[in-house]
Amino acid sequence: MNLLVIEDEQESADFIAKILGGAGYEVDIANDGDSGLRKARDGDFDVLIVDRMLPQKDGLTLVQEYRDGGGNTPVLFLTNLGDVDQRVEGLRAGGDDYLSKPPAPPELLARIEVLARRQPGEVPITTLKAGDLEMDLLSRRVHRGEQKIDLQPREFRLLEYLMRNSGQVVTRTMLLEKVWDYHFDPQTNVIDVHVSRLRAKIDKEFDEPLLHTVRGAGYRLQA
Amino acid sequence: MKLGLPPFTRTATFRLAVLYALLFTIFSAGLLIYLYAATVQYTRYVADQRVNAELDSIQKAFRDGGLPRVNQSLIERASIPDRYFLYQLTTPTGTKLSGDLSGMPAEGTGRVEFPIDAQRPDGSLLTIEAEGRIVRLGDDALLMVAFDAQQRNEVTRRITQAVWVAFGVGLALALGGGIIVSRWVNRRAEELASTAEAVIGGDLHRRARLRGANDEFDRLAERMNAMLERLERLVKASRHTGDSIAHDLRSPLSKVRNRLESALSEEEIAPEKARDTLETTLGEVDRVLATFNAILRLSNASTASRARMVRTDVADLVEELAEFFEPAAEAVGLTLKAEKPKSAIVLADKAQLSQAVSNLLDNAIKYTPTGGYIALQVAVNRETNKVDLIVIDSGPGIPEHARGRVVERFVRMDSARTLPGSGLGLALVETVAEVHRGEFLLMDGRGAPDRPGLKAVLRLPLA
Repeated sequence: MNLLVIEDEQESADFIAKILGGAGYEVDIANDGDSGLRKARDGDFDVLIVDRMLPQKDGLTLVQEYRDGGGNTPVLFLTNLGDVDQRVEGLRAGGDDYLSKPPAPPELLARIEVLARRQPGEVPITTLKAGDLEMDLLSRRVHRGEQKIDLQPREFRLLEYLMRNSGQVVTRTMLLEKVWDYHFDPQTNVIDVHVSRLRAKIDKEFDEPLLHTVRGAGYRLQA
Repeated sequence: MKLGLPPFTRTATFRLAVLYALLFTIFSAGLLIYLYAATVQYTRYVADQRVNAELDSIQKAFRDGGLPRVNQSLIERASIPDRYFLYQLTTPTGTKLSGDLSGMPAEGTGRVEFPIDAQRPDGSLLTIEAEGRIVRLGDDALLMVAFDAQQRNEVTRRITQAVWVAFGVGLALALGGGIIVSRWVNRRAEELASTAEAVIGGDLHRRARLRGANDEFDRLAERMNAMLERLERLVKASRHTGDSIAHDLRSPLSKVRNRLESALSEEEIAPEKARDTLETTLGEVDRVLATFNAILRLSNASTASRARMVRTDVADLVEELAEFFEPAAEAVGLTLKAEKPKSAIVLADKAQLSQAVSNLLDNAIKYTPTGGYIALQVAVNRETNKVDLIVIDSGPGIPEHARGRVVERFVRMDSARTLPGSGLGLALVETVAEVHRGEFLLMDGRGAPDRPGLKAVLRLPLA
């Protein structure tokens, strides 16, 4: 997969390229807004990683122009500060996700993986499947094999997010943002406790575990 | 050289005064012109009436007894002392029959104005203005009745003069008043400006002087002083924060430095040991970064704009947070209950408010010993129009003397030093309360006196 990193600070760009290269991605780097936009338009990339503060053309304008020109590659914003205003601005300008600098490697990889796998204009689906675990999004029922699983509304959303991204690592911060819409880090291990509650419901009585802990990164739902 | 206008002429008050003077001038000019015209017209009308009445009475004498009767009547009238009218009777061709003048001053009939020579009481001669009317008496004669218009014209002249004087005085008053008022306003504005100037120059202690008149300038000065008070407090706080940051980050960074230094000084370093050193160092740097993030969040919170605030039901917010934290509390042997909150709408930055309450819950979970409880409540006070978001725990509580200090940045209680945390959690709650025009209170919980627990109250104004 091909990624484009648009970042003016060379050290920061090299750091990101190294993390992504180590995970097997092809990485191209642009050092300013203008060349970034040109490359994004001409090249065939799976995800664009865009710094908010760039010389010549700031990241926000760049993405806006890219989207106006019909570009639909997913965009991950890098911000200096996970400020709510910046996040909302970024998403409004056509970004798909954001991460504050310096990104922790597992967080960066997990987010890119999720963005790269997302198909633009996806057909709406009504059932999600992972192994013998099945979720009906219309009737809001969950089964594993023959057994029905009862979930609280929030547990349902947590499992839905994990299943939509099954096979991929999702970090605690991603769960916090996408499932609860909270944008702060709690000091206590709140997310872990929620995940282990969910795990008790979907894995406990079965031989084959589906919800895996990925050390130092997060969780992965995989059959 | 350019001739500069004095500074008060550039004030809004002066411009208003000039505009006012202009309007005043237009209005009074109109009024005076009307007055003048009306007076002149009226005096002329009255004089005409009198002349007509006199003519009527002489014409009646002509109808009764012809010219001889008229002549006699004129002689009679001429004998009245200090008479008002002048008379002249001539043939149709203008030859004098009798009267005060040598001939007719004009040909034909109708209105006439003419000068005549008159004698002052002392015998000297002067020319006066006379005005009258000439009529025909049958085919035999022309008769003129005239009067001395000097007096009437004098009245008109005086009125004209008064009009001009009144006009000038009014204009001078309007302009002069405008100048005085605008100079006064300008002086008070300058006072405020000089205070602002001093503050810009770095003197944060400077305050605007109040005159005690409780006028709009005093009120403006009062608000300005309140603003400066807050500004000074913020500047002090951020200075304090700067010092604390330097102090708090120095020690972990020195540790990192020492560790790297000692690793470098070893001749040969075992790969496991190198890895170990790097991992510990990374952990320490991550903690420093986390502190920086907390500082940034805090400074974001304190500069938050009211524009981002929306109507928020605190009941929903509290319920969601309780649901979010409940499993974590249970996992460490605590019960966390949200006592079914009543709906209460406040104007809030939802993300910030969530963060503040989450900090309180984080603390409660961290400091309450196993087996304890945490209660989350919403209490609405309709009288004060406030709502309290309350977190009560059965932990050790905070002694009264320390409550003021724990909300300051980087202040941690000695008993908490060994636990992870940046010392910024309660400072953020305090800041969020301030930004939402509310207050943050700490008090004893509902435990026994020796172990009261803590009750943290975030009090916000209802929307």
